[in-house]
Amino acid sequence: MRAVVIAAVLAFVLVAVPSLVSVYWVKVATAAAIFSIVALGLNLLFGRVGMVSLGQIALLALGSWVAARLFFATGLPFPLVLLLGGLITGVLGTLIGLPALRLGGLYLALITLMLAGAISIVLTHVDFPNGGGGFLGHTEATVEYPDVRRPSIAEADDAYFRYTVVVTVVMFLLGLAYVSSKTGRAWAAIRESEPAALAAGVNITVYKLWAFALASFMTGVAGGLLAANEGKLYAEQFPTIDSITLLAVVLMGGIFSLWGAVAAGLLGKLLPALLDDWGVSPDFVIILFGIGILQVVVTAPGGLVDQVPKDLRRLGRLLARPLRRGESPPEQSA
Amino acid sequence: MLPTFDDFKPFVITGLSLGGVYAMSGVGIVVLYRATGVLNLAFGAIGAMGALISWTLINHTSTPDWVAYLACVAFGGLVTLGYGLIFGPPLARRDPLVKAVGTLGLALILLGLMSWLWPPFGRTMLLPTADWGFDVDVVRVNVTQIIGFGFGVVLTVLVGAFLRYTKLGTAMRALANDREITATLGVPVRRVEAAAWLGSGLIAGAAGLLLSNLVALDAVTLTFLVISSLAAALIARLQSLLVTLVAGLVVGLATALLTPVLLWPSTEYSLSVFRGMAPFVIATVALLWLARRRTVSISRSGD
Repeated sequence: MRAVVIAAVLAFVLVAVPSLVSVYWVKVATAAAIFSIVALGLNLLFGRVGMVSLGQIALLALGSWVAARLFFATGLPFPLVLLLGGLITGVLGTLIGLPALRLGGLYLALITLMLAGAISIVLTHVDFPNGGGGFLGHTEATVEYPDVRRPSIAEADDAYFRYTVVVTVVMFLLGLAYVSSKTGRAWAAIRESEPAALAAGVNITVYKLWAFALASFMTGVAGGLLAANEGKLYAEQFPTIDSITLLAVVLMGGIFSLWGAVAAGLLGKLLPALLDDWGVSPDFVIILFGIGILQVVVTAPGGLVDQVPKDLRRLGRLLARPLRRGESPPEQSA
Repeated sequence: MLPTFDDFKPFVITGLSLGGVYAMSGVGIVVLYRATGVLNLAFGAIGAMGALISWTLINHTSTPDWVAYLACVAFGGLVTLGYGLIFGPPLARRDPLVKAVGTLGLALILLGLMSWLWPPFGRTMLLPTADWGFDVDVVRVNVTQIIGFGFGVVLTVLVGAFLRYTKLGTAMRALANDREITATLGVPVRRVEAAAWLGSGLIAGAAGLLLSNLVALDAVTLTFLVISSLAAALIARLQSLLVTLVAGLVVGLATALLTPVLLWPSTEYSLSVFRGMAPFVIATVALLWLARRRTVSISRSGD
């Protein structure tokens, strides 16, 4: 039953959404889908293994850079570039996270925060590939830069949205496969207690590294999708503060369910666009995310996907109470 | 091609003064972490907002300058204390990671408020101490720089002595060791924690004021300058004040001394554009060194 509902919603999103809304909102929806992949990486890291990375947006920038370089340098098919971009980002992310992975969770968060700052410094100066030569692939010479190319079957915004959603679904299925496998159980053991996991024969370092590599891979794939969605890339698109707002929306969405990552994608990209449309300053979105973090850590660790159904059920019971009272026969209620 | 020693001279001064402020922030971070287990990632944002308030008081009201400076320091203390009183107790038993994530919420709220109330625009904070100074050889040294370096050193010594010799300091060290046992011994845990929050907040305000003069008065820049102080605190494993001081000075010096170094001969790129990466590189190398022998422990501090 659940699978049928999910399939129906997915079919609706794929078929109806692009034809119902304007090009602007299709672009926003594409960005939200891409963002949910990035959120999925962090969701797995934090929710499954108990590790926090504050450098995911910097990794996204790295993934975009690698993918853009590959797109301009090679004629490889689009999916292959996504895959390669993901793998390269996975390796780079793992290498960078390696020193901190051996220490406690707090150290990983701090090292990745510093990494985010460092990567944004490098990218500001080397800039993104724009069809130029050399290793960096950047040129100031031309006036008209070519866009990062999209897959031939999905060059229009509508088609690219559908393409992105399909890749997003594949990434979520990959995440689901991991969570329900032996790896997922090892991660859960590490999250609950590292010494206990170690005693049970779980190789902590390898499984942690694997989680970090997987999250980096997903972020790299998202980077490739983002590069083709934007066409042109600038360092200003990846500010360090975004890594923190990403953590905020991932927490607000809920870290103990993969659906939380879907909610995070919507919160991170759709909500600001909607509020902007209604004339609300983007500064308030940041304040809202800050309040969201505090609310989640203090009162609602399961986030929206856990809290909303609970609250709805409570509301339903509250509403149903007077109805039941009205229906019940008088001799029973007496 | 390495520059001569003369090229480095001005940057030694800049580096030591910045390093002093990094060390001072690092000490503020370490003291709070040791007493409460909270790594305050909003440290930079608090100082930044204090500095902006101070700027507004100086430029848009007739408040005497010294009151405005005090307002910055007091703001740091009050906001940090307020956060500690509200969110400290419910998070007291949680993992240090969760506590640190909570402070990111505060950082976002402050960043949003700052961007709303003070839209990005070239503001400058000129402390009067920046005009007073003297020449050493060919290099001009101003009093803000001396205060930056001096504060770092003096504060480390004072805080170290405070923790070692006073009753409150002993209580803080006891808290750092074991919160439950300390409470059982009759130490007023909440009050001691509040003192740590207040003290750390006052340091955040003072550091924000100094950095707004030494670096720039910009919300995002000041917020993420906390990274340099974090590097110092990390190298000290969030424990040793002396190591924090030395590491802060090294990070400040390394960052500044990279300025005149060219990336390679005959290039217009100098390493200075990448000097902001120094804290990350230094902290990573230090962590690699520290992590060479790893032990798994089930201590309650979660360190």
